[in-house]
Amino acid sequence: MESLVEHLQRFSELLAVSRTTHVSTWDPATVRRALQWARYLRHVHRRFGRHVRIRRALERRLQNQWGQEGASGSAPVPGLTNFQALGRGDLLLSLRLLENRALGDPDYHYLLRQLFPGPGVPDPDEEALQGSLARLARCRSAVQLLRFSGPGEKSALEDPVLKTQAELLLGRLREVPKAEAEGPSRFLSTLWDRLPQNNFLKVLAAALLLPPSSPRPQGEELEPGTPQTPGDGAQELVRWLLEKSDVLAAFCRSLPVGLLTSVAGRHPALCRAYLGLLTDWGRRLHYDLPKGTWVGAEPQHVSWEELYGRFQSLCRAPPPLKDEVLTALEACKAQDGDLQVPGVSIWTDLLLALGSGS
Amino acid sequence: MAQDSVGFSSDYQFWMQKLSVWDQASTLETQQDTCLHLPRFQEFLRQMYEVLKEMDSNTIIERFPTIGQLLAKTCWNPFILAFDESQKILIWCLCCLINKEPQNSEESKLNSWTRGLLSNILSAFRFDTKEVGLFTQGLEFTPADYYPGLLKNMVLSLVSELREYHLNGFNTQRRIVPEKIRLLSRICIPLVTLPDIEPLVEALLTYHGHEPQEVLWPEFFDAVNEAFLLKKISLPESAVVCLWLRHLPSLEKATLHLFEKLISSGRNFLRRIECFLKDSLLPEAACHPAIFRVVDETFRYALLETNGAPEVIAAIQVFTGCFVEALEKKNKQLKFTFKTYFPYGSPSLVMVLLQHPKEIPQELWHQPLKHISEMLREIVEDQTHRSYGGPFECWFLFIHFGGWADIAAEQLVMSEAEPPEALLWLLAFSYSPRDRSLQRAQTMAEVKAVLIRLKKLLGSPSLSAEDLQAAAAESRDRDPRPPLCQQLIRRLLLNFLLWTPRAHVIAREVLTLMAPTDELTHEMTGFLDQTLYRWDHLRMEATGPRKLARELLAELRPAGSAV
Repeated sequence: MESLVEHLQRFSELLAVSRTTHVSTWDPATVRRALQWARYLRHVHRRFGRHVRIRRALERRLQNQWGQEGASGSAPVPGLTNFQALGRGDLLLSLRLLENRALGDPDYHYLLRQLFPGPGVPDPDEEALQGSLARLARCRSAVQLLRFSGPGEKSALEDPVLKTQAELLLGRLREVPKAEAEGPSRFLSTLWDRLPQNNFLKVLAAALLLPPSSPRPQGEELEPGTPQTPGDGAQELVRWLLEKSDVLAAFCRSLPVGLLTSVAGRHPALCRAYLGLLTDWGRRLHYDLPKGTWVGAEPQHVSWEELYGRFQSLCRAPPPLKDEVLTALEACKAQDGDLQVPGVSIWTDLLLALGSGS
Repeated sequence: MAQDSVGFSSDYQFWMQKLSVWDQASTLETQQDTCLHLPRFQEFLRQMYEVLKEMDSNTIIERFPTIGQLLAKTCWNPFILAFDESQKILIWCLCCLINKEPQNSEESKLNSWTRGLLSNILSAFRFDTKEVGLFTQGLEFTPADYYPGLLKNMVLSLVSELREYHLNGFNTQRRIVPEKIRLLSRICIPLVTLPDIEPLVEALLTYHGHEPQEVLWPEFFDAVNEAFLLKKISLPESAVVCLWLRHLPSLEKATLHLFEKLISSGRNFLRRIECFLKDSLLPEAACHPAIFRVVDETFRYALLETNGAPEVIAAIQVFTGCFVEALEKKNKQLKFTFKTYFPYGSPSLVMVLLQHPKEIPQELWHQPLKHISEMLREIVEDQTHRSYGGPFECWFLFIHFGGWADIAAEQLVMSEAEPPEALLWLLAFSYSPRDRSLQRAQTMAEVKAVLIRLKKLLGSPSLSAEDLQAAAAESRDRDPRPPLCQQLIRRLLLNFLLWTPRAHVIAREVLTLMAPTDELTHEMTGFLDQTLYRWDHLRMEATGPRKLARELLAELRPAGSAV
C-alpha cells in the first residue's frame, strides 16, 4: 500500500511538472519512466476498481493533496482528482507533454513512438491509448464540421458551449473534498478570482438551469458510495451565490433578463434574493417631477426602464413565479401606504405599468 | 518496386491537386467531391505511411519535397479528419516527419512546424472565445474532457431542433430550413461510424418535412446503409425502416448483402438462417408492404435463377415465418390488407395459408390442408380464368408457407386410412409445380402405391430394411420415375422411418441401402433439419421421432460443419 501511495505521489508531481519548462531537462528515459508510471496507475485502477477499502484510502490521499495544493495556491485543482482519474493518467500526461513546447526534440520523438506505434499493435494498453488519441482527433473534427451547420441555438438554455462548461464545472464541484464544509465555497471563490468573470457568470446560470439529472462527464462510471443526489452541485452554487453578495449583485446585474427569470423560476432561494435586490434598486430611485419619470441619484443606479424590463420578464413567467413577484410588489406598495396615485410610490407605478402592459 | 513507385507518384500528384481544389471544403461542390473520395484517400494515406515509415525525416523531404503541403492541406480539411481512421493514419505520417536530432535550423523549423500541426489536431484548445479556453483550462480540464462533452451537447441541440420541427409542423417559430438539413446530412457522411453522432443520424433519418422532394443527400443514405450492414453503427429499427423506405438502392443493397451471407456460409441450417434474417432487420422492415415486395421480388428472382433450389425455398419459408411473427407483434400499429403483400395470390387463399398450425388442434389439421389443396387446385387447373397468375405464381405463394406441405407428408404417413387425394395432389404440386395433369396423376398414383405397400409392412411381425427398400422402390415394368417424384418418395420413406417406432432400429440400415451420394446426403440432412426446426416451432412433443432425427442428422452431417 505504501509503495502504491508513493507512486501516486511521484506521478502527481510528474503531472505538475509536465506542463512547465522544467521538461527541457528531461531525456527519453524520463519520458519512458513517466509513461510506465502512468501505465502502472491505470493497472491499479483496473485492479482495485472494486476494492472499496483500497479505493477509499487512495481517494483520501488524493483529497489531502487537493487541500495542500489549494492552500499553496498553485492550482485550484490538482492533476489527479479522484480514483477515476488514475485510469486516464496516461492520457492526461500525454496531452500535456504533446502541448509542451519546452520538451526537447529527442524526447518528443520518443514520446510519439510510444503513443503512436502504428498498425497492428499487440499490446492492448498501447492500442487503447492510441485509439483514445485518434478518437479525440476525430471528435474535434466532428465539432468543427457541426459548426458548419450554422450558429443554431444561442440562448444559454441550449448553447452547447455554455452547457458543456456548466457540466464540467458541476463535475469538478462534485470532486471537491467534502471533508471540510467550506471546501466547495472556497473552490468557487478561487475560480471567481481567477477566471474571466463575465463568462463565469453565464456558466453559473447555465449550470443552475441544467436538467436535474445531469449526465456524468466522459469516462466516469457510477461509483458506489458517492452521493447520488443530482441536485447537489446546483445547491452548492446557490449556497455560494447567497453568501457572496458582490457576486450575486454582478450575477443579477450583468446577465440577460430572460436568463435570470429562468433561474429564478428554478431556484426559490435565488428568486427571493433577486427580488430583494430589485426592491433595493427600486428604493434608490426618486420621482423627478419636471421630467415626470423615476430617476436614480447616481448614473450607475439601475434605471426605471431596466427595472420595469426585469419585472415585466418576471411577470411573463408561469406561476408560481409570477404570483410570487406580484405578491412582493403588492407588499412593497402596501408598505408605502397603498396609494393609487402615480409618482408617489415606485411600486404603484410599476404595478400600473405592468397591469396595462402585460 | 519501380512500377509501384511510379504508380504512387502519379497518385501523389493526383491527390495533391484534389486537396488544393478542396481546400477547407467549405462549399457544396468541394464537400460533395471530398465525401465521394474519402475511402480512396484513406487508402492512399495508408500507402503513404507504409512508404514513409521506412525513411528518416531528411530522406522524406528529399523524396517528397511537397509532403508538408500535402499533409497540412489534409489537416485543414475537416471532412477528411472526421472520416473513419484517416486522422490516425495522418498522425502516423506526421510522426515520420519528426527528426530525432535536428542538425540545422531548417530541420528544427520542420520539427517545430510538424509539432504545431500535431498540436492542432490533438492537444491544443481551439475556441471561439478566449474566455472559454481560460475557463476550461482553469478548471484543469483537457481537450479529452472538453471536446467529447461539447460534441454530445451539439448533437443534442441539433436533434432537438430537428424534432421540434417534426412535432410542431408548420407553425413553429424556430423552423429548421431544408438547406440546413441537407447540409447536416452532408456533414454526417464521414461521421456515420462515430458513436456520438448516432442520435443525429437517427433524427435525420426519421425527419419528415413538408418538402415534396427528398431533402437528405443520397450519399448520406449510402454511408449509413454501408455502416449498418457492416455493423459499424447501431440504429433502432424505426430509423432503418425510414432509411430503406426513403432510399431504394439501400434496401436493394441490404437484401443482396443478406443473400450473399446466406449463400457464402455454405450449408446453412435453418436456425442459423433465422439468426441471419433477424439480425438483418429485414423481416421487421418488411411489415411495410413496399419493403416486403422488394425483398420478395429478389427471392422470386433467386428462385427462378436457381431453378427452384431447396436452399432458396428454405430461406423463403424462414423469412416468411419471421415476417409473420413481426407482423403479429405490430398488430395494433400497422393495418395493411394481406393483398398488399401478396398481390399475386387470391386473398382467401392467403388467409388460409396464414393460419398458424399451432392454433389448430393436431387432429384437425387435415381440414385446412384439404381446403388449401382444393383452392390451389382450382386456380391451377382453371385454364380460362387467369385472375391470379399461372401455376408458378400459385406455387410461389404456396412455398412461402411450405410448412403445410411438410405437414401433409406427415399426415399421409401417420394416418391409417387410405391416402386422401387432396393431400396427394398437394404434395405432388409442391414438389413438381410444372407437371401437367397427366404427369401429376401418375405421381399421385405412385405415391399412393408406395404408401399402401409401406403400411402393409406394418402388419407383418418382422420388419427388415430390405422390405422397406423394396416397398419404396420403382416397379421394373413401368417408366422410371421422374427425379422430383423420386425425391418425394424418399421424403415419405424418411417420414415413415421417423414416425414408425418399430422402424427406428433399422433406420440406419435403410439409409445405407439407399446408397446415398453426396447430393442425396445433402438432401436428407436438409430434410431432417427442416423437420426438427418445424417441430420446434410447432412445439410438437414427438420425443421418439425427435431423438432419431437428431441422431441421424448428427451422423449424416460431416464432422465439423456448423449448425
